[in-house]
Amino acid sequence: MKKSIYLDYAAATPLDPKVLQKMLPFFSEDFFNPTANYSKSKLVKEKVTEARKQVAMILGSRSNEIIFTTGGTESNNIAIKGVMDLFKDANILYSSIEHEAVINPAKSYNHKEIKVDEKGNLDFEDLKKKIDSKTVLISVMHVNNEIGVINKLSLVAEIIKKERLSREKNNNPLPLYLHSDASQSPNLLSLVVDKLGIDLMTLNGGKIYGPKQSGALYIRNGTKLKPLIEGGGQEDGIRSGTLNPANIIGFSESLKLANEIRKDEEKRLQKLTGDLIKKLLNNPKITLNGPIKNRAMNNINVCIDGIDNETLIYKLDQKGIMVASGSACSASDQEPSHVLKAIGLSDKQARESIRISIGRTTSDEDLGYFYNALMELI
Amino acid sequence: MKQKVFVGLSGGVDSSVTAALLKERGYDVTGVYMKNWSKDIPGFECPWLEDYQDAKRVAAILDIPFKMYDFEKEYKHLVVDYMLDGYKNGITPNPDIMCNQEIKFKLFFEAAMKDGADLIATGHYAKVLDGKLLNALDTNKDQTYFLYRASKDSLKKTLMPIGDYHKKDVRELAAKFNLPTATKKDSQGICFVGKVGIKEFLNFELGKQKSGNILDEQGNIVGTHEGAIYYTIGQRHGLNVGGGLPYYVIGKDMKKNEVYVTTDISSKELWKNEFNLDKMYFLDDIKKEDLNKLKVRTRYRAELVECQLILGEDTKASVELKESIKALTPGQSAVFYLDNQCIGGGIVI
Repeated sequence: MKKSIYLDYAAATPLDPKVLQKMLPFFSEDFFNPTANYSKSKLVKEKVTEARKQVAMILGSRSNEIIFTTGGTESNNIAIKGVMDLFKDANILYSSIEHEAVINPAKSYNHKEIKVDEKGNLDFEDLKKKIDSKTVLISVMHVNNEIGVINKLSLVAEIIKKERLSREKNNNPLPLYLHSDASQSPNLLSLVVDKLGIDLMTLNGGKIYGPKQSGALYIRNGTKLKPLIEGGGQEDGIRSGTLNPANIIGFSESLKLANEIRKDEEKRLQKLTGDLIKKLLNNPKITLNGPIKNRAMNNINVCIDGIDNETLIYKLDQKGIMVASGSACSASDQEPSHVLKAIGLSDKQARESIRISIGRTTSDEDLGYFYNALMELI
Repeated sequence: MKQKVFVGLSGGVDSSVTAALLKERGYDVTGVYMKNWSKDIPGFECPWLEDYQDAKRVAAILDIPFKMYDFEKEYKHLVVDYMLDGYKNGITPNPDIMCNQEIKFKLFFEAAMKDGADLIATGHYAKVLDGKLLNALDTNKDQTYFLYRASKDSLKKTLMPIGDYHKKDVRELAAKFNLPTATKKDSQGICFVGKVGIKEFLNFELGKQKSGNILDEQGNIVGTHEGAIYYTIGQRHGLNVGGGLPYYVIGKDMKKNEVYVTTDISSKELWKNEFNLDKMYFLDDIKKEDLNKLKVRTRYRAELVECQLILGEDTKASVELKESIKALTPGQSAVFYLDNQCIGGGIVI
């Protein structure tokens, strides 16, 4: 049989069978609308409430600070448009390596991009410089989906704290919020919001072995948002629309599982990617994009001199190996990755870069097969 | 040394197999995707990126170099504008013929030669032998009708290996070569028109048209139309004329914005046994004594009809047919064949 080696876990993850089991009853048996008043729907509502509690526990937050959404893109849109639409004169800052689901909504408002260094680390000096008395929202992702750089959100939060204090002194009533797109994080890092110091956090079920089009937005109590989707007033009026219990429960379960096995997975992934990076960098044609330290342990992004990534992906695909160029989203247009360009790669280098992202079922043997195949091709 | 061939890869099965066959035959093959059109039209997403990726995937699998030539500007100017102008002037243009004449066998050919190619190749169902354009083995798929205005210089350096195969064998070859395009659906002519529909396309490009009258042979108004540009001679449907016998379009006047119809299927306006041509173009020399041995085709895949070609001044000509043909439209091409060779043709006036 032809080999099939999936190395694109940052793009999509398979549904965990345990998650599927939790979801199944809610498609047909327990299909009831959780907001109805009969006992059967109350039971569904209870399950949704439990799911919300479970998410809140992992985040160290309150249940009423979690709203369920259809995933990362929606959560980012609610957070950004929700805040910015309330403060029309204000501005938003975001890091130049954010996902398009942050950059594109942010661009409709007064906005400034925060620079990153050549490894993708946030330029804190640039951040300090760009915050002004009209900044209402700062969006910095937790783990970058393309180059795996981990942002030190607590340091961003400290800067924000200082700005808030000075606003208090100056009687500037404008709030200042920190939003973080943590779509890639739950498999890798703790999500305790108070430790991270964030006010809004995006979570995405499709990247953590949960159902696609599932996710949540954490909204710290007191954070004001204008709803994006209006209707029956579900989810505190922030996100109307009949709840999707199967996805909500599936998402919550996937987040729980990710949190439980994170510690063990961490070491295993670290070893796998660490070994492969070492082997790859022995080849003079290959350079690592992004940092060595302070990097998501499931991510490798390399530039391979002399072969464009589309051709390489097709050739690897022929051998049953699935990898990505940039993010799954930027694969669909002709522009080279904005993330790789932000860390100083030329268009050519960006077009010669591939991302390998590993997951729960990736083995040492898989990566060996990938390594040998790659060496044959380049 | 191996001959260097640039193959136009469209992302479809025919051009993929063309590249595979030539590689197998020992040529030094480069795949080239021509980017001609990338515009989305409301309700229809242009699949160019998908086609580009398929083309590139084929090149990767065949392990041949891949290039993209961007002819979008030229295509808009030379093919799309020509087509829109044609419709505006009340004729029925053929963008596929124009695309071959101006893009594939001119711009692509010239660019390939400049980039070091000895030959070009395309996935057309036709044969080229010593610069002569011959019918494909699969007569049902024969595409010589679209190729008759290709430049002679380019044809002398063109390979069309698919012309020696039946379509179903081409699909089998694609599977044999492990090409991902083996099961891909065929595109319909010009990509955007095939999928959007000509009416939607014209609406989008030219805006909503003025409605006008539909008149019968006696000059009676029998209905209204939504724009004369949408009607072509011989057309039977969409006249907004209720009940009774079906109507056929026999003519139109773009200035008056009128469309003329008949219920008489045997009307002289519908059936012609002679017609005039302009812009005659020949792919090969033709002997005088052969002018009455020709067969003519006035539409893609139409039956060949025996005829006599009478050459006139400059690029004009007239044609006398052995049997009359229906619904001849100004703007379309009449293409001539001597046995299995495509000799050339002209534009119906």
